[in-house]
Amino acid sequence: MHLSATEYGPYLQNEPSPLHTTTIVEKCTLKLVEDYKHMLCQATEPLSTFLEYITYGHMIDNVVLIVTGTLHERDVQELLEKCHPLGMFDSIATLAVAQNMRELYRLVLVDTPLAPYFSECITSEDLDDMNIEIMRNTLYKAYLEDFYRFCQKLGGATAEIMSDLLSFEADRRAVNISINSIGTELTRDDRKKLYSNFGLLHPYGHEELAVCEDIDQVRGVMEKYPPYQSIFSKLSYGESQMLDKAFYEEEVKRLCLAFEQQFHYGVFFAYMRLREQEIRNLMWISECVAQNQKSRVHDSVVFIF
Amino acid sequence: MAGQSQRLNVVPTVTMLGAMKARLVGATRGHALLKKKSDALTMQFRQILKKIVSTKESMGEIMKTSSFALTEVKYVAGDSIKHSVLENVKTASLKVRSKQENIAGVKLPKFEYFTEGETKNDLTGLARGGQQVQQCRAAYVKAIEVLVELASLQTSFLTLDAAIKTTNRRVNALENVVKPRLENTIIYIKAELDELEREDFFRLKKIQGYKKRALERQQAAAKQFSVEQSAEKVSLQKGISISSAHNFLSAAAHKDEDIIF
Repeated sequence: MHLSATEYGPYLQNEPSPLHTTTIVEKCTLKLVEDYKHMLCQATEPLSTFLEYITYGHMIDNVVLIVTGTLHERDVQELLEKCHPLGMFDSIATLAVAQNMRELYRLVLVDTPLAPYFSECITSEDLDDMNIEIMRNTLYKAYLEDFYRFCQKLGGATAEIMSDLLSFEADRRAVNISINSIGTELTRDDRKKLYSNFGLLHPYGHEELAVCEDIDQVRGVMEKYPPYQSIFSKLSYGESQMLDKAFYEEEVKRLCLAFEQQFHYGVFFAYMRLREQEIRNLMWISECVAQNQKSRVHDSVVFIF
Repeated sequence: MAGQSQRLNVVPTVTMLGAMKARLVGATRGHALLKKKSDALTMQFRQILKKIVSTKESMGEIMKTSSFALTEVKYVAGDSIKHSVLENVKTASLKVRSKQENIAGVKLPKFEYFTEGETKNDLTGLARGGQQVQQCRAAYVKAIEVLVELASLQTSFLTLDAAIKTTNRRVNALENVVKPRLENTIIYIKAELDELEREDFFRLKKIQGYKKRALERQQAAAKQFSVEQSAEKVSLQKGISISSAHNFLSAAAHKDEDIIF
């Protein structure tokens, strides 16, 4: 087992064989969480707030998961087990008690750091009939914007590097939302509401993306921006499977660049993201091996450094 | 087997013979029809077997591709996408319906699937991996198609098997038990009837024989009588009654001791 040579060794050696891919992923994520907690313990302000910001994304996912689960009457314990460990917070179990969204907000979310995101973009009527995905994406948009503002406040090298990384994230989400909502019931206005207020594509790119109905149109829009042009040129016409992989590659490149400079908090962000990418690679490789598709391994492994 | 060619116990009359013959004809016709049915069913059986083999192979392939598509989804959209999809489900949107098909008289069940209701999951993975999710969904729908087909093929396989066994049993029973029995019964009845006829004939012949002999004796007696008569006549013309003399002689020999001649 090659993994035993790395730092993941002690986490995996207690597992009985045959080793299932999900177990590998679980254990690696556990290690990540422990490293994170270790860093958090030793951090002071404002680094600790920065570190916490990193986990808000996962918190949003967990909240959405529990809410949907409760709506469909699933067991709370099961749901709790399925949450991402990086996004756990104390009162998460009480989410299951709330019967509708207003109570949800009143009882639980008001205490969590996610509160401002809820109040900013969603009124209580919206909460009731909004589609879960839209809610998730609206929350994420608010989160990104908040994070962006926070980084600007920190100033200096952090602001520079983080704004670059965050704009990339925002743009990437915008592109994905446009592509994935082609042909669905998402209206153009809704689509526009999900785009963030910063990034390279704001505001003109967003306008154009909102009216796109086809992947080729999206490509046309993106090619006006040089950094994304190179990504899209790697894809042949009409093919979009590798788009996600191309985005991942680009993200990894930028994250690595963050390590070039010193004395800024961006390295932490980059570290966490790169660790997540590492876990993804591991999962991909182990699944390929488990399903006898070793030839596809190189399709999606992104090399870091 | 001991009682293999026994016959039925019947009264050997002509009507029974007619009845047995009718039953034999019925049995023969039934046997031919059942044999045809058995052949048709066996042919269907072989066809289904071939289809099952090919469907199983393709199912292996398809399951492989669909689970790989699932891996791609997990890679792109993060591991928890599985949970969010699962939580969003309320009712199944792909359902299976069963209906009956009639093949050579055997009712075989057949399954077909149909989509009911819309899934709300069109927007899953909106920010990342939506494409992969849709592709994975298509792959699994195809997998379900193949599985449903395989299920109906296998159930019809089992039903056909049972039907073929019963039909063959009936065919064999007719061939080896019912028909020989009927044939033996017919032979027996015919034999009995022949015997009766022979008896009658024999009796008739015997009686004829008696009558003939009786007639002959009568004729002989009559001839003797006429001969004697003519002799008597002649002797009477001569003055003596031979017959009475004869009578006298014979009678006297027995009755009168005094008269000594």
